[in-house]
Amino acid sequence: MKNFQYFKPKSLKEASEILSKHKGKAHILNGGTDLIIRMRDRIIEPEVVVDIKEIDELNSIHLNKHGELIIGACVNLNDIAHNKIVDENYDFLSKAAHMVGSSQVRNRATMVGNICNASPLADTATPLLALDAKVLVYGAEGKKEISIHDFFIWVRKTCLKIGEIVIGIKIPSYSNDILGDFQKISRRKMVDLSTVCGTVLKNGDDIRIALGAVSPTPIRLRKTEGFIKGKELTEEVIKKALEVAVSEISPIDDIRASKEYRINMTKVIIKRGLKKIRQKNLALAEG
Amino acid sequence: MKYKINFNLNNEEIEHYIDPNRTLLNMIREDFDLTGAKEGCGAGECGACTVLLDGKPVNACLVLAIEVEGKDILTVEGLSPGNKLDELQISFIENAALQCGYCTPGMVMTAKALLKENNNPTEEEVKEALSGNLCRCTGYKKIIKAVMDIVEKGKH
Ligand SMILES: Cc1cc2nc3c(=O)[nH]c(=O)nc-3n(C[C@H](O)[C@H](O)[C@H](O)COP(=O)(O)OP(=O)(O)OC[C@H]3O[C@@H](n4cnc5c(N)ncnc54)[C@H](O)[C@@H]3O)c2cc1C
Ligand code: FES
Ligand code: FES
Repeated sequence: MKNFQYFKPKSLKEASEILSKHKGKAHILNGGTDLIIRMRDRIIEPEVVVDIKEIDELNSIHLNKHGELIIGACVNLNDIAHNKIVDENYDFLSKAAHMVGSSQVRNRATMVGNICNASPLADTATPLLALDAKVLVYGAEGKKEISIHDFFIWVRKTCLKIGEIVIGIKIPSYSNDILGDFQKISRRKMVDLSTVCGTVLKNGDDIRIALGAVSPTPIRLRKTEGFIKGKELTEEVIKKALEVAVSEISPIDDIRASKEYRINMTKVIIKRGLKKIRQKNLALAEG
Repeated sequence: MKYKINFNLNNEEIEHYIDPNRTLLNMIREDFDLTGAKEGCGAGECGACTVLLDGKPVNACLVLAIEVEGKDILTVEGLSPGNKLDELQISFIENAALQCGYCTPGMVMTAKALLKENNNPTEEEVKEALSGNLCRCTGYKKIIKAVMDIVEKGKH
């Protein structure tokens, strides 16, 4: 690993100033589970590393006064997975956090690092896409919110500009009970990267589908959602929905799986998710 | 440039000067001769380098030494005072839960952290907690048994 200058600022302002001053030569260090490996392998050789973990306001999970859930940038994935508010309201988000790496990795890795890394297979991205989460950002012009739908640009590329720091993730407050299903298909049951991962979510009559590892960024399947909208989830509708879903994805062959396998697993994830929702609808109808 | 850091290592307060590009694993092995934690993969995959950082298991190969400023580090060498072995270490020996021993310090530290958080884990929970620790020799059964023996005897 090449040597570098290390800063551990106590405020966002200070952190942003250091990042701006050193332009593209400075990198943000959060849990380090992606960054340190990339530095070790000399894929990146930052001159300056800015450790943001001492900035107090980045270290909490709480509901704000509007009932929106705020997950601070430096909260690690184990603390998110075990958080009561997260688990009671969005158990599928807890599950996604829990499915990242090993317990040792999750004691360091963060959800914000997971999305900033912008891997197509980032496990926590699909529940956030399905929840219409907002990414809270601090930059030279102050604070702003970016929709998670505008955040991912390409493989390993987000819309963040130099000097910008993600402060946290905001989950809107929902008046309905949300039913969500996160699934991860991987070669090994634990401590493996997703071959395909996805979230199927029901909010009232609205059904949302998000998938990872089937295109350059994690995506929402808007056409499939549109096709399902207002329809009863019969076998026939589910079958057609899967065809629409396949037309919306562009998976590749890689070391983990072939394109064909990813297409098949896409169908499996969506079918299981929709069937879970259908069961819930039946249970509601029976009162 | 070296930076000054203060931290607690196996219950001893330490002041140390370090280059930022050194990992925690590299520092404890090279500067403190604590060679229990091993480098298997150097990439967070194998758990052979597991130590406790403020009581939680982490891969020391994925932490920069400079990040431990103000924190507590416990390595396998600090698990028990003096020459006495910790009950988990004894259970690993009694159950023959090691062959080459390369994975053992990491296994023991991960198991220790689990038992501190949950003194009555199920076998499933033990397996899950240890899923980030690879062993190329034993086939895991005896390792799980070594941990479950402690749970069953309710010794801790
Ligand atoms: C053994 C192992 C297993 C893994 N398994 C999985 C898995 O199953 N699923 C999965 O999705 N990932 C997995 N990962 C990848 C990784 O752990 C996750 O992506 C993790 O969530 C990254 O978070 P971090 O806090 O460690 O990020 P860091 O490594 O600190 O940062 C990642 C990137 O995001 C940037 N960044 C971090 N925080 C901010 C911020 N607040 N503002 C702006 N930019 C920021 C950094 O500059 C860096 O470029 C694994 C990694 C390892 C080593
Ligand atoms: S050496 Fe650290 S996890 Fe393998
Ligand atoms: S005993 Fe050899 S790797 Fe586990």
